[in-house]
Amino acid sequence: MTTTTPRAAHGSAATAAPAGAPRRRRRPTLAPYVLSAPAVLLYVAFLAVPIAYAVYLSFRGLRLTGGGAFGRRREVWVGADNYVAALTDPELGAGLLRLLVYGAIAVPLTLGLALLFALLLDMRGARLVRFSRTAIFLPYAVPGVIATLLWGFMYLPSTSPFSWVTRRLADVTIPFLDVPLLYPSLANIAIWGGVGFNMIILYTSLRGIPDEISESARLDGASEWQIALRIKVPLVGPALVLTGLFALIGTLQVYGEPATLKPMTSAISWTFVPLMKIYRDAFLRDDLPLAAASSVVLALGTLVVSIALLRLGQRRVFGEQS
Amino acid sequence: MRTTKLVAVATAALTCVALAACSSGSGDEAADGDGPITLDYWAWGTSQPGLVEAWNAANPDVQVRHTDAGGGTDSSAKLLTATRADEAPDVAVVEYNTLPAMIVGDVAADITEQVDEETKGAFTDAVWGLTTFNDAIYGIPQDVGPMALVYNEARLAELGVAVPTTWAEFADAAAAVRAADPDTYLATFAPGEFGFFSGMAQQAGAEWWSVDGETWTVGIDDEPSRAVADYWQDLVDRDLVKVESLLTPEWNAQLNAGNILSWPSALWAPGVIYGVAPDMAGQWALAKLPQWEAGDDRVAFQGGSAVVVTTSSEHPAEAARFAAWINSSEEGAAIQIETGQYPASLTGQELATQSEPPVLMPQQTDFWTLAAEIAGSTLPDISWGPNVNVASSAFQDAMQAAADSGTPFRDALATTQETVVEDMTTTGFDVQE
Repeated sequence: MTTTTPRAAHGSAATAAPAGAPRRRRRPTLAPYVLSAPAVLLYVAFLAVPIAYAVYLSFRGLRLTGGGAFGRRREVWVGADNYVAALTDPELGAGLLRLLVYGAIAVPLTLGLALLFALLLDMRGARLVRFSRTAIFLPYAVPGVIATLLWGFMYLPSTSPFSWVTRRLADVTIPFLDVPLLYPSLANIAIWGGVGFNMIILYTSLRGIPDEISESARLDGASEWQIALRIKVPLVGPALVLTGLFALIGTLQVYGEPATLKPMTSAISWTFVPLMKIYRDAFLRDDLPLAAASSVVLALGTLVVSIALLRLGQRRVFGEQS
Repeated sequence: MRTTKLVAVATAALTCVALAACSSGSGDEAADGDGPITLDYWAWGTSQPGLVEAWNAANPDVQVRHTDAGGGTDSSAKLLTATRADEAPDVAVVEYNTLPAMIVGDVAADITEQVDEETKGAFTDAVWGLTTFNDAIYGIPQDVGPMALVYNEARLAELGVAVPTTWAEFADAAAAVRAADPDTYLATFAPGEFGFFSGMAQQAGAEWWSVDGETWTVGIDDEPSRAVADYWQDLVDRDLVKVESLLTPEWNAQLNAGNILSWPSALWAPGVIYGVAPDMAGQWALAKLPQWEAGDDRVAFQGGSAVVVTTSSEHPAEAARFAAWINSSEEGAAIQIETGQYPASLTGQELATQSEPPVLMPQQTDFWTLAAEIAGSTLPDISWGPNVNVASSAFQDAMQAAADSGTPFRDALATTQETVVEDMTTTGFDVQE
């Protein structure tokens, strides 16, 4: 804890200085420092310090000291060993590839359905708007683990209602939890839970579009679908970029669904997705440093992809507007 | 200026010392005085509260505070982290196959000096072998899981299939069950069951880890293990056993429907089955685990745990006394049996013969006598390695991938062996393949 105090003081000085600089005539006051201190302190204590510690840890390793068959494992400096191990492990790449398949199903469908529902609710003459909005949003309120268990039981051969029907009709059981059906099955859980949340964001954004714009299009003879596709969708572009970004980050951080389904199927290994591998390294293999290195790699990757998406999104969405 | 700075530094230093003293544990203040000392004890399972209560009542000077820090895997991960943070308890339960990892992780202390002859005499040599490494004792055995076969007596009789006593008979029985009822399997083969597979391999003569002086030998891919892999491969290929994870909703449903007729596992199995299929009470029974050679009489352990004194403990002598008492006294054994734990001590196993059979098999009046007989024929010299955690996750992934893709199980053993040796070499162990 002793190291946080000087860091905090330094941090707050650095952020507050530019704000105070142009106002030369006024006497310097404590107010900016005092007001920003809580945020800076919290940021340093709960974000900067843990990240710095994780980075530090990623260069350490537990190695045998004292020799002998029962020597003691102690933490020593190992340089970039953990990064080499993390990046050369084929399972990390395989995990990312599995995420890609999963994301290719989950992201477009979640966003597509969310947009469709939002447009339908926003359409002139839509009925039961409030009820439908709540009904579509409701699955988001179900905790991820509960949702996964619930779907898990609907996938397992002996408890699945779908397989019960197909067994009656054609004597086949649907292998929901075996590759390749496993990917859509997993994606389905995310779509079921995620559509409502994204729909609310898009719907709120749609409500922000002035009525006059739709009105004038209508006077020009545009149909409701034309208004939706040609006018509304481009105008909610920024909201689409935002939800797309959330979906992408959410995909890279998938953990709960496969980890909860793991006991139900042999198709999910300990290294099925990158975060499961990180968890295994940290808590099953007692290799926190390797887990730290993999986490740093994953975080940097997420950052790069997010920035790239934001850049691309901004150019397209805001470029067209101006 | 100088003096104020000095004072500040001194104050800070003192505060640190005070904080460190506080954080390093429980009741240390009282240790030097005459007041009672407090030991922290991390353990899971239903028997623990009773054991702690009994000890506390008899020992007002050494009070024990029990914390349930999760099951075997969780608890050992926490012990390693807590030891590094200097926050570890004084005493903790550790599974036998995790014990070496706890020794090299500097969690378990050498208690050879604290163990008296009376305590030593309370256990068989085979059981002591589980907590003794290079002649040093690192824990007092608590419970054991000698391997055994539990089977659906009623259904097997109905299908006219005899209880197998060798693995060859087991394969024939599996075929007979399939022929008699195509919806039914004699058993499940769960590819990810590390404890079961290693136990079977040990019964066949495998030595997955062994130590000679300073050098480790890893034998996960040795001949006996490959033979075990090939044995199950054959049953799986001929569709004589069901490939499935255990205790999933799917498996439980099949078990309750009478479509899975046996479970080669260990003495704790009746309690587990009763937990998922209480309606089957009276239908199931216990038998000895099949043997590789007819007339042999040897089994490995699947599961079981010991109580270790940690290196962080300030009161190792009292901690060892507590560990010895709960695990070798008659009072302790009575509580263990009452709560469904099979005692590791001979005292406990003898006491168990006088109790009622498990609720799943009330008709089997010789249950505990048979259990004691099985426990008496366990293999000595079973030794685990310092990275069983690495082995078990690698084994699960490799075996399940093999089962899914149809590649040979014996290749999965090679993969596991490779991962384990690589991990040990990276850590700095001297390994001979």
